[in-house]
Amino acid sequence: MTKTVIETVSLGKVHFSNFLRKRFQALDELSLTINSGETFGLLGLNGAGKTTTLKLLLGLIRPTSGQIEVLGHTPGDVRALARIGFLPESPYFYTYLSAQEFLDFSGRLFALNDKERHDRAKELLELVGLTDAAKRPIGKFSKGMMQRLGIAQSLLNDPELIFWDEPTSGLDPIGRRDVRTILHKLKERGKTVFFNSHLLPDVSEVCDRIGILNRGKLIFQGQVSEITRGGSYLKLEDFFLSTIQEAEANYKSANSQEARGTKN
Amino acid sequence: MNAVLTLALNTLRETVRDRVLYAFLFFAFILTLGGIVLGSLSVGQNLRILVDLGLATISIFGGIIAIFVGTALVYKEIEKRTIYLIVTKPIKRWQFILGKFLGLAICLLIVTVLMGSFLLALTTYMTPDYKISFALIYSLPLIYLELLFITAIATFFSTFATPMMSVVFTLGAWLIGHLGQSLLALAQITESASAKTILQIAYWVMPDLAKLTLTRAEITNGISPGPELITYLVAYIMAYIVFLLVLSTLITERREFP
Repeated sequence: MTKTVIETVSLGKVHFSNFLRKRFQALDELSLTINSGETFGLLGLNGAGKTTTLKLLLGLIRPTSGQIEVLGHTPGDVRALARIGFLPESPYFYTYLSAQEFLDFSGRLFALNDKERHDRAKELLELVGLTDAAKRPIGKFSKGMMQRLGIAQSLLNDPELIFWDEPTSGLDPIGRRDVRTILHKLKERGKTVFFNSHLLPDVSEVCDRIGILNRGKLIFQGQVSEITRGGSYLKLEDFFLSTIQEAEANYKSANSQEARGTKN
Repeated sequence: MNAVLTLALNTLRETVRDRVLYAFLFFAFILTLGGIVLGSLSVGQNLRILVDLGLATISIFGGIIAIFVGTALVYKEIEKRTIYLIVTKPIKRWQFILGKFLGLAICLLIVTVLMGSFLLALTTYMTPDYKISFALIYSLPLIYLELLFITAIATFFSTFATPMMSVVFTLGAWLIGHLGQSLLALAQITESASAKTILQIAYWVMPDLAKLTLTRAEITNGISPGPELITYLVAYIMAYIVFLLVLSTLITERREFP
């Protein structure tokens, strides 16, 4: 039986600029259900509301309207966070620590014992290809190495639910391939993965289902297999671009009608 | 409590790996050594000058470290975006605040012990006077208590203000704290009713740090303050610290990390 892992109902978030308190609707009426074992990709142009969605699900920011439930708890509840792994977009670390020290520090926050921390850190550093750089200060890491470490720390607690924000950002082709391999392994182990990405080939290869956000609104959600029908990622790209173009055309026509209405 | 300790040790590691700390320590040691030179210029007061200057150096340099590290404690995590990897772990916000505070508190303890031991070694070298050694050892916990208060106030400001603003606010609170009795005296002689109220409120809101300095001076002069006064001072400052840390937690719980 499939279990609901994430559920949002009419979720909305309004940001206000610091100066003049200008209102910006970052997310509007987002209703989404993610089931256990699913790999869900949230797509959209820059500023569409993808990172805002992730931050709301993790309790980093609070919704202006609507409800959220993650692993049966409200976002940010420590009982849920203990079962979640998170990779932020372009992760930042304590530069004075080495990769090994950072993983040990994170493991302690997850209350892992000495053996678990040691074994998991070793295994994950190997998985992301950082074994040789384990003792090097993170301050000397390249962007790709930081991303790899970010992925490693997100898997430290063997999470049921994984949130990855742009996991392949800053990675070279080998790194991207490694991330896809990790995603496949996570899928095989029945983990639920929710990730934001711009890279449609990666999404097409690993996602079961996608959602498309445009200007804070969810304009599409559906199975990847129904879009690509066994074809290449180009089908997904065509679909994504046409869906966005249609939404933009509707938005512009609605705006011009509104402007005319105001004039009259 | 493990999470608090983990965060505390990480904050300690961050502070001791910062070279600025060693620069401060170096200057503090030089200034304490300067006490010997200044003392030699006085008439029979060389030990007294060394002890006074040494204790003042520990207090001022400890305070500077507490202010400059403390005011960036939480703000730096937000600005450098390392906070995303902390608050998404299963830890509560109070654990985060307490961990950060304790980390700096441990660092300041090490600084106080190091500088105190150096001063003790210098005074013992000059005159092996047990009375002075006793007075010094008795004074150091009072200096540390004041440093803990500065750390708490810096932590509090760092939860919502930029480091620059926090430095100004914390320095202000530290200075006003030392002017406690003067505020009250000023309130008594002022003729304006509103100024009197403001000065009285400032006196009651701000901790009376001057009392700590006065007690410390009495100790170094060989006057024992008695256990009641010491207990009162410790309880008084600790209550302020707890209050500031609770406020810091409430602010951090309410704030968003966009």
